[in-house]
Amino acid sequence: MSSTKHTNGLSRDPQPRGPPPNIQPRPKLSKAERRDLQEKQKAAKAAAASSTNAKDKPKEVEKTLAVPDKKSESRSKPSAVRSIARINQPSPSKDSASVESAETEHVLRDLRIFSHFGFTSKIGSSATSTKADIHPSILRLALQFAEFRIVGANARCISTLTALKTVIQDYATPPQTTLSRHLMTHLSPQITHLVAARPMSTSMGNAIRYLKYEISILDIDLPEQDAKQFLCERLDHYVRDRIILADLVIQDLAIEKIHDGDAILTYARSSVVEKVLVQAHQAAKDFSVIIVDSGPLFEGKRLLASLRRTGIKCTYCLLSALGAVIPSVSLVFLGAHALHANGALYSRAGTALVSMMAKQHSVPVLACCETYKFSNVVPFDGFTKNELAPEDGFESRPFLQSLSPLYDLTPSEAVSAVVTEVGLIPPSSVPTILFRAGVQE
Amino acid sequence: MSTSPSRVTSSIKPSKSTLEGAIDGAHESGAFDIISAYGRQLQNEDTPMPIAAVLALTELIANSRAETMYELVEALKLGAATLKRGTPNPISLTAGCDLFIRYVTTARQESPSFSDHKNHLVREGNLYAHNLASTCREQITKLSAGFIPDEAVILTHSYSRVVIQTLIHAHKRKRISVFVTEARPLGLGVKAHEILVQAGIPCTLVLDSAVAYIMDKIDLVLVGSEAVVESGGLINAVGSYQMAIIAKAANKPLYALAESYKFLRSFPLSQYDLPSHSPNVLRVPTQHASKSSTSASRNSTSSIKSARSSNRCHPMGSRTMGNKSSASYIPLTMTVDQLANNPEVDYTRPDLITLVFSDVGILTPSGVSQFLVGIFAD
Repeated sequence: MSSTKHTNGLSRDPQPRGPPPNIQPRPKLSKAERRDLQEKQKAAKAAAASSTNAKDKPKEVEKTLAVPDKKSESRSKPSAVRSIARINQPSPSKDSASVESAETEHVLRDLRIFSHFGFTSKIGSSATSTKADIHPSILRLALQFAEFRIVGANARCISTLTALKTVIQDYATPPQTTLSRHLMTHLSPQITHLVAARPMSTSMGNAIRYLKYEISILDIDLPEQDAKQFLCERLDHYVRDRIILADLVIQDLAIEKIHDGDAILTYARSSVVEKVLVQAHQAAKDFSVIIVDSGPLFEGKRLLASLRRTGIKCTYCLLSALGAVIPSVSLVFLGAHALHANGALYSRAGTALVSMMAKQHSVPVLACCETYKFSNVVPFDGFTKNELAPEDGFESRPFLQSLSPLYDLTPSEAVSAVVTEVGLIPPSSVPTILFRAGVQE
Repeated sequence: MSTSPSRVTSSIKPSKSTLEGAIDGAHESGAFDIISAYGRQLQNEDTPMPIAAVLALTELIANSRAETMYELVEALKLGAATLKRGTPNPISLTAGCDLFIRYVTTARQESPSFSDHKNHLVREGNLYAHNLASTCREQITKLSAGFIPDEAVILTHSYSRVVIQTLIHAHKRKRISVFVTEARPLGLGVKAHEILVQAGIPCTLVLDSAVAYIMDKIDLVLVGSEAVVESGGLINAVGSYQMAIIAKAANKPLYALAESYKFLRSFPLSQYDLPSHSPNVLRVPTQHASKSSTSASRNSTSSIKSARSSNRCHPMGSRTMGNKSSASYIPLTMTVDQLANNPEVDYTRPDLITLVFSDVGILTPSGVSQFLVGIFAD
């Protein structure tokens, strides 16, 4: 498994580490187990009686944190979600290696408080036996997710559904069972593999839930090919109705709010907002765009490039310059990863800052979000559920780990209105839409 | 008034340009004049604008030669658009029209014959209009009575039939006293004041600028509405927003009384995003504009006289102004042009409104949107 701890200890390291030292597994250990291990290691260390320089103290703390990690690695107790990504590694050599390297530079990559986000492992370069069951289009998609080649809630959802359609087409019902009962069992490991690459987005989750529902109500007498055709058609309609056409309606509604002479601010890169701006420009509205961007992904640069191609007047700045530009902004458009039942907006990290600053300056904030991204969850912070960006070059430094959550939560008070395909609604009306959708399904 | 379907079927989404093109066509045909029908309905003083619009649209259906639902709905949309263009302040009108058209679109056709269905729609439309207008206000009066405590001091703005009715109803059972703002420039608050005084309610007329002065003495603020919008905010005579901000600062509750046909599916993001907003209303003054206003003030005496004689301004000279001697005191008023640059309605944000009382129930501002979404989002 991956380990980034032993840059100096590599020389002592008996075996090569598997995947590149980017990402860590974060297993769940009970407190008792952890304490046991700490005791063991303390005893071992006291027995070893290594050099008692001051460096040991901090290292010891880190070591005790680090070692349970490796111990559990060696025990290979994967969480249900990350099963395929874990690799078994033999334990004893690792233990001794960890003890011995305690005195040497030990680089901890574990942030306890964010351990529940989970670093995902770099898949594709490690081989597990279960890989054989995964469909090649899913394998490819998972790689694309892991390398952040496909980003954005809509893009991920559409690509997931496309890949699942291929899987369904290639599926053959085993004897003694029916498609409507077995297909989901067949699809589950595929989906799990995708989730191992990157945690599932709300959009993907809702789409997959829809697929499960469609599979479950399939007529049991339907011949296999017809059933597969039907399912693929339903998925096509889902994408067409709830994403493509919804985006068209959102564009129309959002454009009505753009007046000539406006300065529009947007953050990072949202596919919907990009469409709105391009469409508004084609409708001959006179406006300029301020793109606010931030690391580590710097998605705003790509938005800048695509808007410049259409000839829209653009300004590009980083999040740190937000305070300087906000007084001249008339309207803020934001994209959404998900919209929660309490009206909170879950979107790219930094969105909350932009909306709250805009609210402070009485600038209206419009979140563009299709209804299929609505989620029944009620979160109060961006802490309980989030995802960390892959590390970007800090691995070599001891005692330093970069923390880049990818998402944050904007409270509903900071969002003036949500532009959906059912109209402009205040964020507090999300449960009504969810309820109505629930009734229909 | 039937339209040629070819003009309006081209796009997936109905765009404004096709509607406008078809409106010109309708004017040429002139088979049914919706504006005169609307005018006729409005002649009854008690009929609110949206209800008059619904009745006018009902007449349109009765006179329509449409054979399909699509044609009928298109004709209705055209009629509504014509009405909106003909009125200077189309906000409450829009609400009524949209609701009625929505009803027509979603009404199930019981009988196989389309003309029977049309008659059914006409009957329903008339029933809705005639019953709703009176029962709405009674409902609202009953609901809000419980929120008016005994010996309450109530502040209200301008003239609203619902509020007057509520106050008179409350006066029968409790002791209340009322402050009414003058509500310039139309001065409708004076009319409200007279009606309340005749009903025996102790009532004082207050300058618009004195609202903050009296706010500490007030127990609650009651306002009517031109429309209640999707965000849960309120569109009402200009001065309501100000009153709401002052009430919030003084921690006084503000209750909005709105009939359900005034719920409008629009989401203004600011005062300048209102449907009634025109570009010359309260623009940031530029060098050019200020020059023209100073020349106006030089002709102030003549313009005051003209302002006085115009029926838009209330003759202020006839009222005593406290400790100022009325003989030498000639109050200045704005010229008609200057008034034209000022808004008639403003938008009150939902966070300033405590509750909305309507015939569908007592709603929080966010409940308004849920109600609207329930009707329109399908």
